[in-house]
Amino acid sequence: MGSATTATSVRVEVRGLSKSFGPVKAVSDLGFTVEPGSVTGFLGPNGAGKTTTLRMLLGLERPDAGTATFNGTPYAALPKPVLTVGAVLETAFHPARSGRNHLRVYCRAAGLPLSRADEVLTEVGLTDAGPRRAGGYSLGMRQRLALATALLGDPPVLVLDEPANGLDPEGIQWLRGFLRHLAHEQGRTVLVSSHLLSEVEQTVDRVVIVGAGQLIREASMEQLRSGASGAGTVLVRGPEMDRLADVLTAAGSSVSRSDGDLTVAGSTPAEIGHHAFSAGIELHELRPHTSGLEEIYFQLTAGTEQYAAPSPGSTSAPEAAR
Amino acid sequence: MISLMRAEWAKLFTTRVWIGLLIGACVMAGGFAALFTGLAGQEQNGQPGIPAVGTQQYETLAFSVPANTSVLLLILGVIGMTQEYRHRTATPTFLTEPRRGRVIIAKLIAYALVAVPFALVIVAVDVLVVMIYAGARGAAPSLSAGNLQTLGASGLVLVVFAVIGVGVGALLRNQVAAIVGALVYLYVVEPIVSGIGAIQAAYKWLPGGAVQAMTSDFQAPELLRPWQGGLLLLGYGLVAALVGTLIAVRRDVT
Repeated sequence: MGSATTATSVRVEVRGLSKSFGPVKAVSDLGFTVEPGSVTGFLGPNGAGKTTTLRMLLGLERPDAGTATFNGTPYAALPKPVLTVGAVLETAFHPARSGRNHLRVYCRAAGLPLSRADEVLTEVGLTDAGPRRAGGYSLGMRQRLALATALLGDPPVLVLDEPANGLDPEGIQWLRGFLRHLAHEQGRTVLVSSHLLSEVEQTVDRVVIVGAGQLIREASMEQLRSGASGAGTVLVRGPEMDRLADVLTAAGSSVSRSDGDLTVAGSTPAEIGHHAFSAGIELHELRPHTSGLEEIYFQLTAGTEQYAAPSPGSTSAPEAAR
Repeated sequence: MISLMRAEWAKLFTTRVWIGLLIGACVMAGGFAALFTGLAGQEQNGQPGIPAVGTQQYETLAFSVPANTSVLLLILGVIGMTQEYRHRTATPTFLTEPRRGRVIIAKLIAYALVAVPFALVIVAVDVLVVMIYAGARGAAPSLSAGNLQTLGASGLVLVVFAVIGVGVGALLRNQVAAIVGALVYLYVVEPIVSGIGAIQAAYKWLPGGAVQAMTSDFQAPELLRPWQGGLLLLGYGLVAALVGTLIAVRRDVT
């Protein structure tokens, strides 16, 4: 590693991208930019068009309209694409081929020295598993092998589709550190998709949120956080919840009851504790229930799920926001 | 292009499919050679069966045996192409070379070239068995120009079938469907066409008819001349390759 790390910075630009499968509009008029030196989260519920967008970005699917470019050049027109872009899509390898041989196949195809295979195996921590059949790898090892394949050309851009799927907590921890290292210390452009904000919250610097194939929000994490402060909910327990509910409602918070618990939106735990103390109400438990970020993400993407199940206890359509 | 072909050979030789198919083809070629030689000259139900050892007809038959293993080379080509879709390696393959036509062409050439040593081994097994067994029965064939031509034509059939296999694989993409389809075509459709009088005339234009034209020296007015059969078979290989390439270039990789 290290040769191309500081050489080129590549900006990814998506403009007016659209794609339909029969009557279903998978992606419509989608546009966003991915900046070098940062990790950008590509977020949205399942079926929002994330994978289709990434596959169009990589020239695997043909857009009906629009462009996706790397410093102005579409993927298919890049002279040696693996030297510019590394991609982790679904984990794909022949089960009977060893991980090392899998990598060497793509070294040959791209005209890279075969020694790159061993180098990337070391980078992702698979050196010992390299000579073994890839069919015997665990889900986490498969993800690492897919990542190793993406790193073969030492590319300035990395595109990863749900890379945390199947990783254990330790693997997710490792992946976070690895992606941040690639972006922040090596100046690469990293685009990572996920359907969970909480999964990438600690990794990404910027987010591109999509729903039903359309752009919902493109923002930095700071921007998202500043809009999210106070947006979370707080769980309160105690013997006098009816009285506390009245106090909080009077103070302008919205309150909902279930099983004697109180879920409060629009107030921080500190504010609720202050109101309770002033009114002399005894509390047994007071803790954040959902983070403001999660709440914002739910609100932004609500109603855009393709196959949403009705929420428990409601027989009608899914609630707009929790 | 050379690097893409190297990648194809690396893919082929890092799994063990090729060993099984090559051994299968050798066993088949050796087995049929022994069977034909053993039965040569015997009458079957009062009808003349396989021509006797020592006759030119017998030698042509025995030296065209390698062409009967063409189905295994066809499967080699089919697997070579369809495994990309079956194991989803088409994605990294087309990411490495987004000009998909080049990938398919590299695969076609790589499989045509790899089929040459395969064909040589299969032909060698056939020659070995025929020489020893027919020699033991009194008349080992000479490697005359005519016999060498038959052997060469048999080997060429094998190479072309590997190319057709890659083309069929690119066309159908589903490995099981492609193999089953090819088997049904070769062992059900063609025999029916050649057996039904009204449509028998069409048989000489089919791949099976072309193979027969290339490898049999019998006076057979219903077949094409050997060189015409060779061109026809090559044509089938190229058409399969061309259609397969066009489809792979246009379709989304899924």
